Amino acid sequence: MSLDTAPPPARQQRRATPPAPKGPSAAARWARRAPLLPALIFTIIVTQLPFVATLIISVLRWNSLDPDNRGFAGFDNYAAVFTDANLRSSIVTTVILTVVVVVVCLVLGLGLALLLDQKFRGRGLVRTMLIAPFLVVPVAAALLWKHALYNPEYGLFNGAITWLWSLFGADRPPQPEWISDMPLVAVEAALVWQWTPFMMLILLAGLQSRPMDVVEAARIDGATPWQIFRYLTFPHLRQYLELGGLLGSIYIVQNFDAVFTITSGGLGTANLPYTIYQTFYQAHDYGQASAAGVVVVIGSLIIANFALRVVSSLLKDEVK
Amino acid sequence: MRRPGRLIAELVTVVVAAVVAFPLYWMVLTALKPADEVISADPRPWTLAPTLDSFTRALTVQSFGRYFLNSLVVALVVVVLSLLMSFLAATALTRFRFRGRTTMLIMLLVVQMVPVEALTVPLFFMMRSVGDAVPLFGLNHLGSLVLVHLAFSMPFAIWMLRGFVAAVPVELEEAATLDGASRFRFVWQVLFPLVAPGLVATSVLAFIHAWNDFLFAKTFIISAAENQTLPLALQVFVKPDQNDWGAIMAGSTLMTIPVLVFFVLVQRRLVSGLAGAVKG
Repeated sequence: MSLDTAPPPARQQRRATPPAPKGPSAAARWARRAPLLPALIFTIIVTQLPFVATLIISVLRWNSLDPDNRGFAGFDNYAAVFTDANLRSSIVTTVILTVVVVVVCLVLGLGLALLLDQKFRGRGLVRTMLIAPFLVVPVAAALLWKHALYNPEYGLFNGAITWLWSLFGADRPPQPEWISDMPLVAVEAALVWQWTPFMMLILLAGLQSRPMDVVEAARIDGATPWQIFRYLTFPHLRQYLELGGLLGSIYIVQNFDAVFTITSGGLGTANLPYTIYQTFYQAHDYGQASAAGVVVVIGSLIIANFALRVVSSLLKDEVK
Repeated sequence: MRRPGRLIAELVTVVVAAVVAFPLYWMVLTALKPADEVISADPRPWTLAPTLDSFTRALTVQSFGRYFLNSLVVALVVVVLSLLMSFLAATALTRFRFRGRTTMLIMLLVVQMVPVEALTVPLFFMMRSVGDAVPLFGLNHLGSLVLVHLAFSMPFAIWMLRGFVAAVPVELEEAATLDGASRFRFVWQVLFPLVAPGLVATSVLAFIHAWNDFLFAKTFIISAAENQTLPLALQVFVKPDQNDWGAIMAGSTLMTIPVLVFFVLVQRRLVSGLAGAVKG
């Protein structure tokens, strides 16, 4: 995973060399840095403070329904997170939901990016159409899937099935209750629809930044399109896949709108953010909810790492 | 590539695009259908009697225009401030070597993973304290939303812009210094234009982030109805038993338009912008 945020050593050394023959004094260096510091300090305050507050609250016994009993709880909240059956099952749901959505989005996004990378008439329009789902407000997208597509009585899916059946002269078409028959898949499908464009954009950016002269040379040397893909394009795309996997995992682990809107966390689709929401707004147990939040952070890191490994090892095996 | 293969690929792309975009067509269509067609056992992919009734209901119920403006103000202020601040912070984090720099960058990513549901309570108390000092940024004011969206869009923006700043050769800075340019001048007249594609990509995501928010608007703006934002207006039509789907879809359509406009404006630069985020 490309979490190694330090630049490559060679560049770092070069940067370490000050422009003047003899380095300016420490005071002078800080004076030069000063104009940029407010932004940095503001960032630290605004981004890190709430997280620190969450960490602190996560070790407190703090339930607003029981305000007198407030105090230090140690790791009790964390123990509760892992022993509470509801929370535990929501951890499993979160993992499944995230891995499925991220992997499917990456694969579909890669396919679409490869198709879009070619020049053809109307490409701009097609690209805008493919990106559009990403631009819809998540709550609206979830409402759209729930009502307009999944609804068994007047939804588009069952309407389409009826139409197809009547086309072949068959009556009594199957009318599945999409959301209650396959709740998790229903949520996943809506999320895949909304997040594939994002992956596609990142991968398309990767495709368009690849050195075309090398590809051209390979083509002249008689490489097949598949060879070009697996030996040139794919290695180049790896870090874009990693970026997409990482960002996708961060967003999907946290997904709340789709779960809340489509199933209201019922039928075994309650993921951690949803359970946290309930712990906060219904049980008012701030300590336990914060602990669950910290668990989500750790989980995101693990899932992001895992999802990436899966995707790149799957494709890497084929390369060998 | 061979010709027939290419033709098939193009055809597949167009078909996939049509399938992907169809739910959106359905959204607009539902908004335009007359009420009795919206909920029908035989949904049809067209309507013979398009009507703007749903849009009228969405626009007239409550002060939709006011909410729209609030949302727009918050999103635009967040975009401008987060671009400015994260550009400077990314420059600092890329160009300066100091202890804890890598930790700092990783921490930025980690806070991005904290579910916002878990942060609302600490943030609520923080905003209440801020409001005691500076009312404009406290609860019930749009300023509180700006602050919190800044906090959530900046880590990502910094992380993206870092790659762009790193891609600008250090020699360029040295040359500018030798030519007598101050650091300030270098940052604004050399670095800033070079990083512009990254700023575009970042601004789209910051805009979408602030525009889509529902949770914070609901938590922070408690009693000042005139400072509510758009996603809450949509909730008016969602009722336990009798949902006004036509109006919901009309509202959704109206909410999507600004994002679409903003996106189309910057679309050309977006892809190259995302590409630069990885170099570095």
